[in-house]
Amino acid sequence: MTVTLWDTTGGDVVKALAAERRAGAMVATGLALTLVVTVDEKNVAEAERAATVAAQAHPCRLVVVIRRQLDTANRLDAEVQVGGRLGPIEAVVMRMYGRLTLHPESVVLPLLASDCPVVTWWHGAPPDEIATDPLGVLADRRVTDSSLAPDPIAALRQRAADFSPGDTDLAWTRTTPWRSLLASAFDALEPRPISATVASENGNPSAALLAGWLGRRLGVESRLEESGGPGVTEVEVLLGDHGEDAESGCSIRLSRPDGRLATFSRSGQPDRQLPLLRRQLGDLLAEELRRLDPDAVYAESLEQATALEGLSSRPPRRTHRWQDPAASQTTS
Amino acid sequence: MPDPCALVVFGVTGDLAKKKLIPAVYDLGNRGLLPPGFVLLGFARRDWGDGDFEQLARKAAEQHARTEFREDVWRRLADSIKFLPGSFDDDNAFDELDRTLVELEASHGIAGNVAFYLSIPPAAFPVVLKQLARTGMADGSERSGWRRVVVEKPFGHDLDSSVELNRLVDSVFTSHDVFRIDHYLGKETVQNLLALRFANTLFEPVWNSHYVDSVQITMAEDVGIEGRAGFYDSAGAARDVLQNHLLQLLALTAMEEPVAFDAEALRTEKHKVLGAISLPADLELSTVRGQYEQGWLAGERVKGYLDEEGVPPGSTTETYAAVRLGVETRRWAGVPFYLRTGKRLPRRVTEIAVIFKRAPHLPFAKTDTVELGNNQLVVRVQPDEGVTMRFGSKAPGSAMEIREVSMDFLYGSAFTESSPEAYERLLLDVLLGDKTLFPDHEEVEASWQVIDPLEEFWQGRIPQRYRAGEWGPRAAEDMLARDGRTWRRP
Repeated sequence: MTVTLWDTTGGDVVKALAAERRAGAMVATGLALTLVVTVDEKNVAEAERAATVAAQAHPCRLVVVIRRQLDTANRLDAEVQVGGRLGPIEAVVMRMYGRLTLHPESVVLPLLASDCPVVTWWHGAPPDEIATDPLGVLADRRVTDSSLAPDPIAALRQRAADFSPGDTDLAWTRTTPWRSLLASAFDALEPRPISATVASENGNPSAALLAGWLGRRLGVESRLEESGGPGVTEVEVLLGDHGEDAESGCSIRLSRPDGRLATFSRSGQPDRQLPLLRRQLGDLLAEELRRLDPDAVYAESLEQATALEGLSSRPPRRTHRWQDPAASQTTS
Repeated sequence: MPDPCALVVFGVTGDLAKKKLIPAVYDLGNRGLLPPGFVLLGFARRDWGDGDFEQLARKAAEQHARTEFREDVWRRLADSIKFLPGSFDDDNAFDELDRTLVELEASHGIAGNVAFYLSIPPAAFPVVLKQLARTGMADGSERSGWRRVVVEKPFGHDLDSSVELNRLVDSVFTSHDVFRIDHYLGKETVQNLLALRFANTLFEPVWNSHYVDSVQITMAEDVGIEGRAGFYDSAGAARDVLQNHLLQLLALTAMEEPVAFDAEALRTEKHKVLGAISLPADLELSTVRGQYEQGWLAGERVKGYLDEEGVPPGSTTETYAAVRLGVETRRWAGVPFYLRTGKRLPRRVTEIAVIFKRAPHLPFAKTDTVELGNNQLVVRVQPDEGVTMRFGSKAPGSAMEIREVSMDFLYGSAFTESSPEAYERLLLDVLLGDKTLFPDHEEVEASWQVIDPLEEFWQGRIPQRYRAGEWGPRAAEDMLARDGRTWRRP
């Protein structure tokens, strides 16, 4: 069922959601978390689709915040759905206008499911400081996607500068299948790794994070190489015994030129082919929603990738320094 | 069905009468719960006739009644709506009231039964009560039927004034005929708390300090003071809410099982538990007062408390109060009861959360249970009346990961008839003479004994600031953090 509220108030949205839950109590049982999504109008459909997929694994309340233009009168439009077109979840899709776009938390806070963890996902460019953003402060985990930035590598650096435990990046989530395949290979590794190379299309943040992970985990130097894509195409780790140089040693290589099928090669062993699909947004999101505690491995890989120190030891909670632009105008 | 009777409302033009009392009378009429001989008699300083008051009452019923407005029901009720103009110090008006009540026995068959509802500021209590005593209206034995009086909070502003007020009311009416309304006790879920505790076997065994870690009782309001600056600034959150609603909820949560579900047995148990409440040794560290500043709430910009109309500049009245209390009984020794209330918080919600201890041993890997919190049983008093249980459950997937899930019981969807408004229920109980859901003067005085030392300690101190739209001042978070706990987000 869907209820649309035009030019409404936060209080009425809360009431509408309660009424819909009451009417359709069958669908909305066992909420595990609240997922807050901030997204631009043009990407709303994509974000909703992804959230719907993720919600099938993790029953959640979905709160979508779409900020429209700032220079206009305050206005809030909302769509409340319980078991509607977004599937068996509770969803509130809100469009905000005027000064209200600067204070979305005032509407979001009353809509959070009681005492459940909150995940905020920016589908699009996140604010520079997400840990102190009003919608970031209320979240236990903050999900961004560096690959959507105009300069993904610069975005990665910004994420590291602003990092606080609980942050994560879908560019990192994309590396999970690569990491699990590689990790299983190293379980039985006799010769020690001496260097690692990650090949990808230019400026791929997943490749940078993967290289960071390899560097930190294997304790070797890792390099990035440019290829034609799509995404990450190859990881090669050179192996050798102590004191020997790379020339004499063997290597392991995981290559995926077409974005679908990967070939795992190791010197002296036959090649093996494995499916290594580039996953859909919804699957990535679902993976991130599985754990709601800070991802320490991401933190150290990001450290390595951006050469910044001490990310995991930063305080997990920061506070939003609240400022009302309208108030400062009147007092000054 | 109550006896034939009249309900006399003093201060009938006030907000409470318009929003709650008159609609409740209509709802009772619509549900067929009013006796055939019933009169609603309004008394206020207005130059009105019965017709003017009927208009006001009709509007109030149309706007605020819970049940559907039906013309035929109203027409039947309209015959029984009377108005008497007069001020409280006007002897003639009260003589007229007495005469009218006698006449109504003949014309409407009210059989001499009268309930007086004092919907007036506490300052006006003595004069009205004296008038009722002077005319003899308060004494049922001199008239042919029963006489009852209904008093609204605040029941005084400290122990002394409350003792004084109780003595005054009890001297005019007999203490058995005094009904003190705490409308929270009329709510379905509050009564359901008693059902939950005493009709089931599931909860009683764990309802004690062996299993309960702490209890959080929250009453949050999103509204500000709504033009009540005069009253509110002299009272504050602790006197306005903590002293009555929150301590009553605490009493119902913590009390022992009453030997019967009747007024006397319930009062005995509540009184025992209120008397066992202890204050923390260090009030500085275990209490927090706050005052809201301007901010954004539910999509709108709202003023700070000091900018509200009628609030004196530099006022140190609190609009938020949080306190840790103990209950010194064998059942509850060592279990903190955290109470908090505030205005301009993100959402209107009242709930009682019983938070259980963690399992003494977890056979899982440490990383499997990082997202597992304490089990909770939450009684939602309003809105979305119901009960929620939170417990750990395995997250779907190949790994063993345990996370919290909640199981919800929602009142509205489970019962076909929507829950009656608290006032409807309580008004009916007054007319029926059932005092089960009304606190008596001993309870009120025991509650003030808890609040008075707090007020004394807070005297002259400046409250912490919090922004309208957030869950209270930072100091409240710190207060729980010192105990290794956090407030629930309701």
